[in-house]
Amino acid sequence: MMITVLVIALAVCAVTLFYLAVRSRIKQSGQSIRPVNLKAFRTLMDRGDEYFLKERLPRSKFTKLKRQRIRVTARYVGRIAGNASAVLHMGEAARLSPAPEVAQTAVQVMELATHIRLQCLLAMTKLAVEYALPSLQLTPAMLVPKYQVLRENVSRLGNLQRGNVTPLAAGI
Amino acid sequence: MLYAGFMSFSTVIHEVWFLGLVLQVLLAVVLMVRGMWKKFPIFTTYTLFSLLETAVLYAVFRNQVLYTYFYVIGESVLYILGLALVYEIFIHLFAAQPALRKMAGMVFRVVVFLLVLLAGAVLYLKAPLIAPHGSGGISALLIVEESARLLQVGLIMFLFLFSSAFGLHWRQHVFGITLGLGIATVVELVAVTVALHAGPTLVKVLNLAHVASFDFSIMIWLGYLALPERVTNRADVPHRAQLEQWNQAVTELISR
Repeated sequence: MMITVLVIALAVCAVTLFYLAVRSRIKQSGQSIRPVNLKAFRTLMDRGDEYFLKERLPRSKFTKLKRQRIRVTARYVGRIAGNASAVLHMGEAARLSPAPEVAQTAVQVMELATHIRLQCLLAMTKLAVEYALPSLQLTPAMLVPKYQVLRENVSRLGNLQRGNVTPLAAGI
Repeated sequence: MLYAGFMSFSTVIHEVWFLGLVLQVLLAVVLMVRGMWKKFPIFTTYTLFSLLETAVLYAVFRNQVLYTYFYVIGESVLYILGLALVYEIFIHLFAAQPALRKMAGMVFRVVVFLLVLLAGAVLYLKAPLIAPHGSGGISALLIVEESARLLQVGLIMFLFLFSSAFGLHWRQHVFGITLGLGIATVVELVAVTVALHAGPTLVKVLNLAHVASFDFSIMIWLGYLALPERVTNRADVPHRAQLEQWNQAVTELISR
């Protein structure tokens, strides 16, 4: 009977997943590049600020504040992940460009975007752990340099194509 | 439709079943007319075989022996085709993602291995349930089908989870095929799992749900395949000024 309950639970999870996939696809159809303030993102990740708050604030208040900071950081990471996903989608068309340089740059951009998605997954996991245990210090610090390289490459792709991708590079 | 042997079909089930046959003919026509068979050869084979199976079962459903015989053969072939179809979806999904293909392939193999273990465990743990049942053959078949569907549902779930983790864009046709297959397989999994413990009335309900869900899946396939693929609207990319306004708003929200 236990196995039956588990199988039914799995089926319910599958149906929920299908529903989320349909919803996500509808959202994706209107997906666009959204700006990310990297300066603010870096400030949020600054451990110096965190040490300062930890020394000045009572433990309970610090915990509450840190969790707030993590929530905001997670939103930034989510936005970067969304932008990387949009770049992947837009890169699909550019990858098939008859101009070899455009196609090559598109492949590079897509590879980097994939890498950033993976980094975002790791960063989100780390943030989740820190949210659960605020005394821990795990920061997605490795995300910023990669994202900057993505910006540069997308900008290069935009210049090569001289088309609609230019606002994309400016956007991210 | 496994339970046809020990239950009388109500008119509703019969009509829903017939509707499925009509819908499958329609789907086959769409696949041929739109030249989809070139792009999705396994899905086309799956659809055509499913149509053939439904037609044969519909013709022999009054003969219990023949019905069970054709059902077992038909479902076995359809199951193998279903697994091949999941692989076809996998190929389409990662065709435009050269960076992900290798990793996805590796994870896919690991997931297949784990799911085979899980299916084997279900088969092993549920084996004792075969003996106390009156119709031992039917219950054995239900348990085998449950394990098999578990593997299929797991693989479809993997495709959705992996693509969601990497924010992959599903093309309309591939998404429709996967969604339809997913819904049909999940309902089938629930039906065969519950049927083992259910009484005749619940079995009737499950039977109807199974047939209706397959019809619903065909409608999904028809809807997604008949409509032309939507082109990405590049006009959606916002202007820099607008982006800066949003940026400022978010920054204010964060720094307040």
